[in-house]
Amino acid sequence: MSTGIKNLLLTLSKKNKISLPETELITAIRNKEKIGSEALYDMYSPALYGIIFRTLQDEEQSKDLLQDAYIKIWNSFASYDESKGRLFTWMVNIVRNLVIDRLRSKDFRNSNKNQDIDNSVNAIDEQLNTSINPDTVGVKDMLKSLKPESKMVLDLVYFRGYTHVEAAEELGLPLGTVKTRIRIAINTLRKIFN
Amino acid sequence: MEDLKAYIESGVLELYALGELSPDERHEVELMLARYPELKQELEEIEHALAGYSEEYAIEPDESLRNRILESLDTVSTEQVQPVITLTERRHYTFYKYAFAASVALLLLSIGSIISLNSRLKESNSRIAALELSNQKFTNRINYTDRMLNEANEALTVYQRPGEYRLVKLNGTPKTPGASMSVAFNPAKKIVMIDRASLKMPENDDKHQYQLWALVDGKPVDLGVFDAGDSDKGMIKMKSLERAQAFAVTREVRGGSPVPTLEQMVVIGNI
Repeated sequence: MSTGIKNLLLTLSKKNKISLPETELITAIRNKEKIGSEALYDMYSPALYGIIFRTLQDEEQSKDLLQDAYIKIWNSFASYDESKGRLFTWMVNIVRNLVIDRLRSKDFRNSNKNQDIDNSVNAIDEQLNTSINPDTVGVKDMLKSLKPESKMVLDLVYFRGYTHVEAAEELGLPLGTVKTRIRIAINTLRKIFN
Repeated sequence: MEDLKAYIESGVLELYALGELSPDERHEVELMLARYPELKQELEEIEHALAGYSEEYAIEPDESLRNRILESLDTVSTEQVQPVITLTERRHYTFYKYAFAASVALLLLSIGSIISLNSRLKESNSRIAALELSNQKFTNRINYTDRMLNEANEALTVYQRPGEYRLVKLNGTPKTPGASMSVAFNPAKKIVMIDRASLKMPENDDKHQYQLWALVDGKPVDLGVFDAGDSDKGMIKMKSLERAQAFAVTREVRGGSPVPTLEQMVVIGNI
């Protein structure tokens, strides 16, 4: 009995993730190939789920929303235009719009107590006890070079479903300051990732 | 060139990448991107940085979500590619195996919790039985104490209100010179009571009892039976009576006799 379960788990964990170069992936999705859907899921679901879960902070709702997002991405793929930006950016924007709609829906506000904005992305990582990817340990250190006030603004917008206008209101800052801080934060990230 | 630098520094490309612009603003940025390759380069770096940032904060969703989501995406079957098909079937099969394992695990878990609940139920039941028993004991004790208290109170009334109760002392006959007892009599309330504390009578056996009689105008009137020797020390209320000239006690068969057996008279006393 227990060895049976163990074998099943092994089979599942051994399953290889499918990854394709971005141009091939886009072609496969346009052709509605199964391998395209699998690669789309395997390559981007952790990053997208990270954004969704940090915003909704509820596992069931986050899973449902990830599914809604993938259905929308898949079905409206004709409207994606490579010349206007990367595939991931386009997907994140679809996710963000769904997340923001969800946050504003009545039943979400009823079922979730408003979380403090101090409950930041890092606090979620502590809760989840996410395993550290050895490839990116150095990156984690470098992320510490993000100025806290800039990181706060970027995280509110990128991970917490705030528009930059709402972030300005929440933090009591002029809109110009918010834009500047977002730019400073992204400039720091560019030094880290480029 | 200076204008482009200002455009870049305005932060509008960052907001574009974050999806923070209105449709009109987006359209404007897209026109600029199409015109200036430098801007496109700039945007790509911004997107790359944001993608890297989100990967740092990626969370692996639940394994089961993969199948659920992939099944909800319409794909065209590509039958010419054999490996893809076997891969699909295997995964399908794996899903059922996994579901079966989960069902069995759930069943075992349920059985386990039923057993544990059942034993807890038994424990609770025996605890309830024990509590009921001790509750019954307490009730009995309280009834007993109540009775004792009533008897004591009645005895107290007899002695505290000598005007109401007349204490009649009954003395032994020549056969039983050592015997004596007291009867309390309240003619107004028609109450006759025996003060057990005053009983000095030979203990009766199981087949016999003492019977109290009143002599009313020369005729004996039955007032009921009692035992001597048990440990109770209160007052016993006998049958009611309005008037009498004397009280007497005879030894009779258990339950009493319709007429007194005079040879068995133990004590007698005039009022």
